[in-house]
Amino acid sequence: MLLLEYHNLLLKYILTERFASTTPSSIDQVISDFDGVTFHVSTPESKTKILISISIKCYKDLLQHGAQQVLEREYGPYITETEPGYDFSLLIDLENLAEEAKEDLIRRVSLLRRNTMAAPFEKAIDTHHALAEAAKAVSSESAPQATESEVMVIRYRDEEAMYIQASADRVTVIFSTVFREETDRIFGKVFLSEFVDARRRAIQNAPQVLYRNDPPLEIRGVPGVGDVQGDVGYITFVLFPRHLTQQRREESISHIQTFRDYFHYHIKAAKAYMHSRMRRRVADFLKVLNRAKPEAEEGEKKERKTATGRSFRVQA
Amino acid sequence: MSQSLRPYLKCVRSSLTAAISLSDFASQIAERHNVPEIEAAKSPEVLLNPLTISRNEHERVLIEPSVNSIRVSIKIKQADEIENILVHKFTRFLTQRAENFFILRRKPVKGYDISFLITNFHTEQMLKHKLVDFIIHFMEEVDKEISEMKLFLNARARFVAEAFLTPFD
Amino acid sequence: MASQTPAVVMDNGTGYSKLGFAGNDSPSFVFPTAIATKGPAGGGASGGAGRPPVAQKPSYLTGGAGPTGHLSAKRGTEDLDFFIGDEALAQAAGPGYTINYPIRHGQVDNWDHMERFWQNSIFKYLRVEPEDHYFLLTEPPLNPPESRENTAEIMFESFNCAGLYIAVQAVLALAASWTSSKVQDRSLTGTVIDSGDGVTHVIPVAEGYVIGSSIKSIPIAGRDITYFVQSLLRDRGEPDSSLKTAEQIKEELCYVCPDIVKEFTRFDREPERFQKYVVEQLGGKKVTVDVGYERFLAPEIFFNPEIYSSDFLTPLPNVVDNVIQSSPIDVRRGLYKNIVLSGGSTLYKDFGRRLQRDIRHLVDDRLRASEARSGGAKSGGLEVQVITHKRQRHGPWFGGSLLGQTPEFRSYCHTKAEYDEVGPSIVRRFALLGGPGT
Repeated sequence: MLLLEYHNLLLKYILTERFASTTPSSIDQVISDFDGVTFHVSTPESKTKILISISIKCYKDLLQHGAQQVLEREYGPYITETEPGYDFSLLIDLENLAEEAKEDLIRRVSLLRRNTMAAPFEKAIDTHHALAEAAKAVSSESAPQATESEVMVIRYRDEEAMYIQASADRVTVIFSTVFREETDRIFGKVFLSEFVDARRRAIQNAPQVLYRNDPPLEIRGVPGVGDVQGDVGYITFVLFPRHLTQQRREESISHIQTFRDYFHYHIKAAKAYMHSRMRRRVADFLKVLNRAKPEAEEGEKKERKTATGRSFRVQA
Repeated sequence: MSQSLRPYLKCVRSSLTAAISLSDFASQIAERHNVPEIEAAKSPEVLLNPLTISRNEHERVLIEPSVNSIRVSIKIKQADEIENILVHKFTRFLTQRAENFFILRRKPVKGYDISFLITNFHTEQMLKHKLVDFIIHFMEEVDKEISEMKLFLNARARFVAEAFLTPFD
Repeated sequence: MASQTPAVVMDNGTGYSKLGFAGNDSPSFVFPTAIATKGPAGGGASGGAGRPPVAQKPSYLTGGAGPTGHLSAKRGTEDLDFFIGDEALAQAAGPGYTINYPIRHGQVDNWDHMERFWQNSIFKYLRVEPEDHYFLLTEPPLNPPESRENTAEIMFESFNCAGLYIAVQAVLALAASWTSSKVQDRSLTGTVIDSGDGVTHVIPVAEGYVIGSSIKSIPIAGRDITYFVQSLLRDRGEPDSSLKTAEQIKEELCYVCPDIVKEFTRFDREPERFQKYVVEQLGGKKVTVDVGYERFLAPEIFFNPEIYSSDFLTPLPNVVDNVIQSSPIDVRRGLYKNIVLSGGSTLYKDFGRRLQRDIRHLVDDRLRASEARSGGAKSGGLEVQVITHKRQRHGPWFGGSLLGQTPEFRSYCHTKAEYDEVGPSIVRRFALLGGPGT
């Protein structure tokens, strides 16, 4: 597996299974996703009414940037009263569900986390388009004014946050990242430097990636930046207009969201691979070491046979 | 093999061959005990002069002989922090499996990355020249392994970065 | 935040792996413990990179090694190209991939494969960041401590998981039985009968600790029952006698009867007991298979093994009785009182009832004999109770889920910080979860 999926596999499984089967049954499952997102799938009232709730760490931040509208657009009729302890809930009634709507609904629901997180990105992209229009309208002779929006802060993990800023010619997404372990930090550095170089080397059209250890200019002065102690790194993705077109924006949003988990997943996968290398190497070393043992040992333990076929051990 | 590696390994080999001349020796401190004197370090008269062989400031071998045991410690080349962490990981992985390695010391001597402790019991059970072969083999391979792992890490990082950025293309 | 995330419970068995989150009543994923890797069959330990393999035999120390290959291939992404679970089986059917089973006889056989199996389980299926979650893993009874250490090394060093607890499957199966109404005191003393696909174990547990010397294994389990059903179908010349059909018949129609002789006459008296099973074959053709005596004969091989096997002849109730008799005398009463079933092959209707009756007969006979011998002394009797409960199928997983959601679970785990301090040997000891005083 190289890239991470955008949707939650388990939500998809459960819904597919429920939608397909004719016998309703009760569900009560707590499901986790990356970055402390928790889903709760249950059938509180009757077996045909599935309640899906999501709890997400940065919901307050997301609400400020239009999460409500995005969710209403995606899930309109299914939205229900929010379950206590969670941030957002959907209710699906199996009894009045059109057959042809099922597939689409499964897809939408399994993307619940992605869609909830998408709001600030959408807002940024919209702002970008608006600013771009404005910049076009203002002819080149007059000085451009206010081409940058304010920075949106999404604190999606305890110690790590995302900063999103739109401007007329780009959308900047900055991830702050903290490594709790020395090995990870060093591996992470190697990975990040390759991220920075990748564009120069192979993929010219990719977003520009920058990496630095102190807060980049865009987010200096944003409250909360630099508060976290320890080894913080900042990774900046600069999304260019070509990534933000109508056709591309959905994909870009989905993809950029998986960055942090993708990055950490591959650090771990690399460590796992190192382990298997080391295991092989240990086996190899042992083989060499065992050569030091005299062969005679084997001969002593050998069983010998008598003419009648009985075997016995030679006593030392 | 680089110019300085061959004489370095040759020197380690002949020093080790000379140093591993061990005999059974009962402890003079505790009755009916037989301990590796180099570890116990209670009777200075049975310890021999330690010897350091350095290839450069990063790579060296310390050989500490005594009457019934010898301690060989190796400092592995570490050019940068990546190699540093890889060496640390690798030696940790090895010492975790010290049980199978008979002669591997569970903890390296201070200032070194990995140590071997060879006692007269080992030399009685195993062929001395093969033990020396093993240590030389280890020294050769460990450098190779570390640099290969580093190469792998870079290659993997490049691949991963490109794979992530390609969908934007 | 880490204090809120549910613990991840993973029960990796020889046949199937059960994955899910603590607090749920069933595992989120159940799929075969299989991994499909690219390239030639695994197990050939290649020597280090870039050199020709030193030997073809798998090393016992490392448990074999991963895929063979040359340096060029190693720098690639060969190690990311694999599938696990059902996908592995599907991929292995095609060209290019070979299937491997990293667990043999309950114990991890190939750590390279296991590590990647976990990697995919965590990131693809469960979708969790291991740094945020505590993990509860299971191990078979008598798992060597080195195996635990290897597990810890992988979980902490590769995945940086926040905390780890490794529990013995049998103990978790006991904990799972607490949901049964028959259980009054939540004790961790009892006999676990764990019957999966490959082998059946009878494991006595006293106060949360397995009595290793008394464990008995029986070479009769789910697969044997399937084969037995299949052979009966073949003997009669049914239109479809594939293994899959046999398995489905076993799972849907088989039950345990109190007495075979009576059951035979009952079948002759009540023809509606004979059933028909409709199989849809490849191409949509439907054939009907008659199902007769195998409905009760199949599970009967636990109680009368001679009808199936020629070399293993001790009935399950006798094995259980022997196991308990070979355990220390002061725990025997507890072991008889709390016989817990676990695993898919204990799900037959009335399996528990029959087992309880047979064991009770054995016990009562012995009591009567010793009463007679003692000349007048009366025994106070011995309570025999077999506990059947709803969570039997994934007993160990459910027990793990139950214990993993308790507030004190985290204090029983070893954390990443502790591991870094002490090293892998820290997992040799775990405080007893759910034991007395909690």
